[in-house]
Amino acid sequence: MEIRIKNIRKYYHSGGKIIKALDDVTLTIPANRIFTLLGPSGCGKTTLLRCIVGLESPDTGEIAIGDEVVWSRNRNIYVPTEERGLGMVFQTYAIWPHMNVFNNVAYPLQTRKVSRDEIRRKVAKVLQFVQMEGFEDRPATKLSGGQQQRVALARALVAEPKVILFDEPLSNLDAKLREETRKDLRTFLSELQITAVYVTHDRIEALALSDIVAVMNRGQIIETGPPRKIYFNSTHRFVTDFIGRTNLVEARVVAQQDTVTMVSCSLGSVACRKKADVQPGDPVTLCLRPEFIRLHSGDAPSAQNIFNGEIKSLVFIGEAFEGEVAINETMLFIKIASDSDIKVGERVHFTAEPEHCLLVTD
Amino acid sequence: MGNKRSVLTPTLIGIVGFLTVCPVVMLIFGSFSTGLGAFGKFTLDKYVEAYANPELPGIVANTIFFVFGSSTVATGLALLLVYLNTRTDIPFKFLFRIISIIPMMIPHLLFSVSWVLLLNPSNGLINLFLRQVIGFENVAINIYSLPGMILVEGLLDMPIAYLILAPAMASFDVALEESSRVCGGSTLRTLFQITLPILRPAILAAFILTLVRSLASFAVPSVIGMPGRIYVLATYIYQSIATGFAADFGKAAAIGMSVLVTSITLIYLYRHLTSASEKYVTISGRGYRPTVIKLKGARYPLFGIVGFLSLILIVLPVLVLFYTSLVPYSMVPSARAFSMMSWKHWIEVINDPVSLLSLKNSVFLGIVGASLGVLLSIFVAYVIVKVRSKASGILESLSFLSFSFPGIVIGVGFMWFFVRTPLYATIWALLIGYIATYLPYGVRPLASAFVQIHSHLEESSRVCGAGSFTTMRRIVIPLLIPGIVSGWILMASMFVRELTLSVVLSRPGTEVLAVQILRFAEDGLWGQLSALGIMMIFISTALVLMATLVGARFKPVEEAT
Repeated sequence: MEIRIKNIRKYYHSGGKIIKALDDVTLTIPANRIFTLLGPSGCGKTTLLRCIVGLESPDTGEIAIGDEVVWSRNRNIYVPTEERGLGMVFQTYAIWPHMNVFNNVAYPLQTRKVSRDEIRRKVAKVLQFVQMEGFEDRPATKLSGGQQQRVALARALVAEPKVILFDEPLSNLDAKLREETRKDLRTFLSELQITAVYVTHDRIEALALSDIVAVMNRGQIIETGPPRKIYFNSTHRFVTDFIGRTNLVEARVVAQQDTVTMVSCSLGSVACRKKADVQPGDPVTLCLRPEFIRLHSGDAPSAQNIFNGEIKSLVFIGEAFEGEVAINETMLFIKIASDSDIKVGERVHFTAEPEHCLLVTD
Repeated sequence: MGNKRSVLTPTLIGIVGFLTVCPVVMLIFGSFSTGLGAFGKFTLDKYVEAYANPELPGIVANTIFFVFGSSTVATGLALLLVYLNTRTDIPFKFLFRIISIIPMMIPHLLFSVSWVLLLNPSNGLINLFLRQVIGFENVAINIYSLPGMILVEGLLDMPIAYLILAPAMASFDVALEESSRVCGGSTLRTLFQITLPILRPAILAAFILTLVRSLASFAVPSVIGMPGRIYVLATYIYQSIATGFAADFGKAAAIGMSVLVTSITLIYLYRHLTSASEKYVTISGRGYRPTVIKLKGARYPLFGIVGFLSLILIVLPVLVLFYTSLVPYSMVPSARAFSMMSWKHWIEVINDPVSLLSLKNSVFLGIVGASLGVLLSIFVAYVIVKVRSKASGILESLSFLSFSFPGIVIGVGFMWFFVRTPLYATIWALLIGYIATYLPYGVRPLASAFVQIHSHLEESSRVCGAGSFTTMRRIVIPLLIPGIVSGWILMASMFVRELTLSVVLSRPGTEVLAVQILRFAEDGLWGQLSALGIMMIFISTALVLMATLVGARFKPVEEAT
């Protein structure tokens, strides 16, 4: 079910200052996709989620879930949380400690006045789905973090809601478990064909899980798109910086050519992926990800985008070397194959494909 | 250092064990003996005498109504206040904190007296007002009744329940309620199926603690209950030892035994419940600020309730006492009343040698008693928190045992002991009794202070070459100052106002403030009582301020840990 958000604004007053948690957000979340709100803490992503659920009310605007308007300032509509028919997994899971697993999962069905037999059947089915069958009688206080997470998911799914929402559901798990759960969650959700809204500050989580990612900053949606588009083709400086480790170099447009845009910067003259909406003389930012700065073998620098630099630091992290290289006084992060035998202090040639030299603006 | 420490623990077990076990043992022996002077042979006579009393079933029934009634009032009110404070947008939240520390400022005895001054049937100010000003002829709201006792005791015990419920409510993860609403639960369903069940251990713990408090309460039953001939077990005990030359400490001990057993059982239940409530601790969120429930139209009416409560808890008692101390006899405030005001009662009190002596004794007990009590508490808390051996576990149980001691019962136990020593009828008997009964009030803040001092701080001092006593003096004590100050304040304000133990142990020459005030109440000398009562509040407040100032001077750098 599609979620349409129109002109939502939410301001907080704190100590005389106004904090714009949501600053005129308009957004359509498509049906039956995994949609992620990604952004640094305090960017408004959780506030937006809570507005959708109804735990918080925006100052202006309208929210519709499917055909039903659940919130509208102008039309004075507020459908209470409990009548929106949603499912949600909280950051703390919010498993009720005074109930066992069965009662936790059965609760949404009980509030919907489902018959006892039906409840028993549905709880058993959903527990099997999250691989927690046989845990019905386990007290909630005797569950591990990963088990709590599964029970929370089962509880959110059991009443077959139109939409399921996740508020940083993996942030309380340790790194290894987080990775496994992320994979499972992706499988569960694609099997279910359900509209899922997922809030996280973890870019890997967002890239790995989502069909569509919306990057937020300071109460605004900066950019929306599929993970690969956001990672490779973003046109926003904030997004490229937030979505992955990158080198940002200030540059000026020199010329527009057939296939590339030529810029000049402290690295020298660089051929970049064509950016049509800039003119010669415009300031831009060159964005170059560490993994695309490659060692150039051979002596004669003949091709485009060849840089000569001195290796300043090098750290072996197993699957690669991470380090810094100084090119004309500019330090760039690099990530090169772990079987390479270069050393700190060595002068080497690097190359970067124009396709990977992205031009972005603020 | 191993040597010093291995001496420390047994010594403390000896001291604390003597303080807490001695009165209990003496109480048991006393209850089976013939008389206070000599134990005589083993006898069950006193039990027969005490429990065959035809009035006893009535007294027990009164006690049950009184104890359960006032605990229900106290816990219910506290729950309402805590909820409003932590979960809603009610205005002026600072008032809630004030209400929660008030019992430290206004002694229970004076609070009870002020209600008698307001609502006694013959000349209570409110009754006078209703009759003379409004014109209701035959109206007399009678405070000397079971409901009156329940109301006053409930108000007095409410802060205790508040202090237990407030942290439980504050650490409550609001997501637990929010998830219920997302799951389709209405506000009421969420309250009854989620919120209250999760808080149940804390609510029960608060209820049980107020049960213990009201069972041990003596101020309300003596000042409000006795004039109305409504006896509870505490006043029944008092009656059997306070009837002049025929004081029967054997009978008192026999009744005291069942009060003590009940109280210890309740405290055991309380500790069991508080450990059960820790089971409900969930993963805490990385802090989304809890949504405040908007009270909208109910905001100011509800605040009205809180305002009214703080008025009757704080302002009224002091005001009524001050007013009564200035007017010649009970009268409704009026132009005439104000024209007749004088310092007469104050001058009488200052010229009364017994009142002066009680003033001197109470100040002495407050300052010297609290200082010695805190000194003992430092060592006890140190062993409990830092040594952590089997012996320190014994010490912990011993030092919290007196938490369940009803003052009057333990006073009777001590009486059996002191009468055999030269301490009998000296101020030192009171001092020892006070420290024994109120030890947990010193140990508790100090124990939590010790918990905050990470063992690495001490260990690094050791590594730097300091011995264990140097470490204590240079590192531990300075970090303990906040705990020492709050322990001292608690003990000193308890000692200055102490009534229940003193009423048994105080003899001619060792009168203390509360006992003298009780005498004034029994004689109906309300003016002198009020003057002395206000002096007591001043002394108590002065000690609190003094300790706070001294503590501030020595306070280590903020956020030292």
